[in-house]
Parts: sequence; C-alpha cells; structure tokens
Amino acid sequence: MNRRPKILIVDDRPENLVALETVLRDLDVELVKAYSGNEALRATLHHDFALALLDIQMPEMDGYELAGILREEEKTAKLPFIFISAVYTDNLNIFKGYERGAFSFITKPFQPEILINKVKFFINIHKQEAALSDLNEELKQKNEDLEQSNNDLEAFTYSVSHDLRAPLRAVHSYAMIMREDHEKELNAECLRLLGNITRNAERMARLIESLLEFSRLGKLGITAGIVDVNILIQEALEDINATVQKVPEFRIQKDMPRAVGDRDLLKQVFVNLLSNAVKYSGKKEAPVVEVGARLDGSEVIYHVRDNGSGFDMQYMNKLFGVFSRLHRDTEYEGIGIGLAIVQRIVTRSGGRVWAEGALDQGATFYIALPAAGV
Amino acid sequence: MQRVEVLLVEDNEHDAELTIRALKKNNLANGLMHLKDGGEALDFIFGQGMFEGRSVESKPRVIVLDINMPRVSGLEVLQRLKADERTCNIPVVVLTSTKDDPIMKHCYELGVNSYVVKPVAFDAFFKEISALGFFWMIVNQVE
Repeated sequence: MNRRPKILIVDDRPENLVALETVLRDLDVELVKAYSGNEALRATLHHDFALALLDIQMPEMDGYELAGILREEEKTAKLPFIFISAVYTDNLNIFKGYERGAFSFITKPFQPEILINKVKFFINIHKQEAALSDLNEELKQKNEDLEQSNNDLEAFTYSVSHDLRAPLRAVHSYAMIMREDHEKELNAECLRLLGNITRNAERMARLIESLLEFSRLGKLGITAGIVDVNILIQEALEDINATVQKVPEFRIQKDMPRAVGDRDLLKQVFVNLLSNAVKYSGKKEAPVVEVGARLDGSEVIYHVRDNGSGFDMQYMNKLFGVFSRLHRDTEYEGIGIGLAIVQRIVTRSGGRVWAEGALDQGATFYIALPAAGV
Repeated sequence: MQRVEVLLVEDNEHDAELTIRALKKNNLANGLMHLKDGGEALDFIFGQGMFEGRSVESKPRVIVLDINMPRVSGLEVLQRLKADERTCNIPVVVLTSTKDDPIMKHCYELGVNSYVVKPVAFDAFFKEISALGFFWMIVNQVE
C-alpha cells in the first residue's frame, strides 16, 4: 500500500512552521500544520500521523503538555515526537507518558540536515511498521481463507463419501443377487466377472471408508497430554498380533521417553506404523521390527524400523500422500491411507514425520514429537 | 384394502428394491407399502393430499424411514410423527448410511425407536434388515 506518511508540525509562530515546511519539502511526506496544542489535538482526530514535530515554548499548552496528552490517547499513544527547543535539555522524562513511545530533541537554531535525518529515521521506522502491519493483515486474511477452504473440503469429503455409498451398494448388491438367483444359469466366465465386480465394489467401499476416516480426523479435537509411548506400543502390538499370521521378531527399546500428544491419536499412529512394518517385512525369512526413541532437544524422536521390502528414496514424498502407494495391490494389500493418517496426526500434534529406506533393505519411519517434561 | 403393516419410505429405487427383497426374505413384507418421499409419507399417515380421506387411526405397525430424501426429509417426517399424539406411538426405524452420521443424534432426540445402517456390502445389508425381524417381534408382542 502506498501512503504518504503524515507529519504533524506544531508551532505557535507561523514563520517557524514555514521554516519547517521549507526544510522538509523534499521528503515524500504530507505535512499538517497546527498553531497551538488544541489545534494539534483536533488534527489527530482526523489524521493518522507517523511523526509529530512539537515546539516546546508555546502559550496555553506547551509541547510537553501536548505530548503528555497525546500519550494518553489510544490513537496517538505510540506517536513518536521530535521536540524543537530553544534550550538543550537532557531531562528526558520531562513529559507524562514519555516511556510509551520514541522521541527525540533538536535545539534551535537547527541544521536542516540534522532535522531531515531525524525525520527520515522516524519515517522509515513508521514505513516498516506499516508494511509489517499490512503483511500481518494479509497473513490473517490468508489464514481465514485457508481455514474456510479447509472446512469446505471437509464438508465436501464427508458428503461425497456418503453419497458414493448408495450407487456402490446397488452395484454390489445386484451382483450378489444375480449370483444368488441365477448361479445355475451362469457359466464359469460370468461368475468370474461377477466376482470381479463384487471385489471391486468392496475395495471402493474400503476406499470410501478410509476417506471418511481421514476426513473425520480433520474434525477431531486434539486433547494433548503426557503420553507413555511404551504402553501405547504394547497395546498396539496386542492389536496387531491378533490380526497377522506371521508375527515378526519385535525388538522394542525399554523406557522410551514420553511425548506430549493425544493418546488415542498417537496410538493410531503407532498401530499404523507397526502394521506397515509387519506387512512389508512379512515376506522375509526372518522379519524383524524394531522400535526405539531418543531425546533431541525439546523433541523426542521415535523410529519404527523393519528389514522388509523398503522403498526407493526418490519416492519418499509419495509415501505420505492419500491413496498414494509404492506397491501394487497384488504385491502388498492396502489402499494407501495409513501413512497419510500418520502424517496428519503427527503434524496436527506439532510434530514431524520422515522416512529412510532403500529397495529391499528395509525402511525406517521417524516421528518427532514434543517431549514431555523438557 | 389390506391393512398396511410396514410403511417403507425410501426415495432411492435401488435401495428400496434391496430393502424390500431383504424384508421379504425375512418374512417382514406382509402388507408392505412403499412411498417415495417424505411428503407422500405425511400425506399417507395423516390422510391428506393424495391420501385424502384415509383415516389417521389406521396406523402402520412400523415405519421404515430413509433419512436423506429430497424435499421433505426423513428427519422432518420423524419430527411431525413424534409431535402428533395420534401418531407418536408408531414405531419408527430409520435407515442411515453410517451410525455416526451427525443426523442420528437428532433422530434420537426426536424419539426414533431403532435404526438400520445401510452398508455397502449386500450380505451385511441383509443382516441389518433381518435384525429388524427381532424388533418386529417385540413390536407385535407389545400390541
């Protein structure tokens, strides 16, 4: 925004005001003149000033008194002053409220360059402050826009997920009815095709379910507390062991540092990371899944490592995308939502996630969370 | 005209066909009437509009009500039924896509008697409807 900064100049003697105008005429500023303290106060009602030049010796209200009143007013409380005085004074706390804003002195007769420099100094500060406040305003607006579009997206995902179910139910159900009512009339190829329809409908149902779950995550509030990850991992392992056929060797570090976060959501994080590790190491002869942690400043960095199929580091950024996968469905079953959920939860908890790996050399997933009691 | 025992209010023709099939398989489709939106349902129940002259006293034994319908939604139908002393005792079962649909909370507040989730998978859907059979038994015992 291009605004010429306004300077208030106050002096009871017209010739002094003319002199100030002359000195400051080359600056890109707008000068507003006042012949008395009262006039100056009125001017502050109509203008936003970047700086005020105040003569000290004025009848009725002197420069210090005027400055004191201006400091009391909210609008001008931080307005910087340059006092123009016939006598030099080093008594800086001479006016009321002096500590609330910047000010300077210049003694008469003054050298034009010195006054110009002082004025320029304050104007520059003012411009920087104005630019900063514009940027802040812009940032605030962008934040609001972002929040709005986030909300729109959540609502969209939710309704899409709901509305997608009805036609899918029809596809799935009619395929099943066809098999149920007409199985004897259908040849093997027809039955195979029907099976494909059903399986794909079921897969899409899972995709929709995950999308819903992911969108619900965005609405959940985070209840942050101190979380004992050692216990979370034990619980997560119980969940996982109950569902997989081939249980790997687990090497879990003892007494890992605690983190700050939402217990239920962080459990979801570890369940997802551990099930991934189990899944992608499942084809090894001796699968090993290792969990550890270390403190790093105010963060605790947990890792989940497996000796499974790993990944090519060039695809690292695809790991955490929604429905983004590095393996075909026939290699490893899945729909590509687990790590997206991990990233979303960890980011919302004020943490970071990343991964290291190499093809066939296993993978390590790291999550950094705020450490408890640091 | 045979007494309407089950009133199914469902706008989606496929969901309606599947629901009717499931009701039949569970022997719950005797005296079934299918209406396609909330407006028709209110007309039928209160004997107005296209059902002018029908007595409000001739109540269905149970109403199976889809929630998400255009114009007059299931929620509005439920609201009208439960607000009227002539109809507030008719058992209402709502059909919903997910049990954690935020609308379900309103349904409970309005006094819905039961709900059936419409899952994507056909077999699960049939199981859900057959659960209605249990509800149906209880309703019949009460009468």
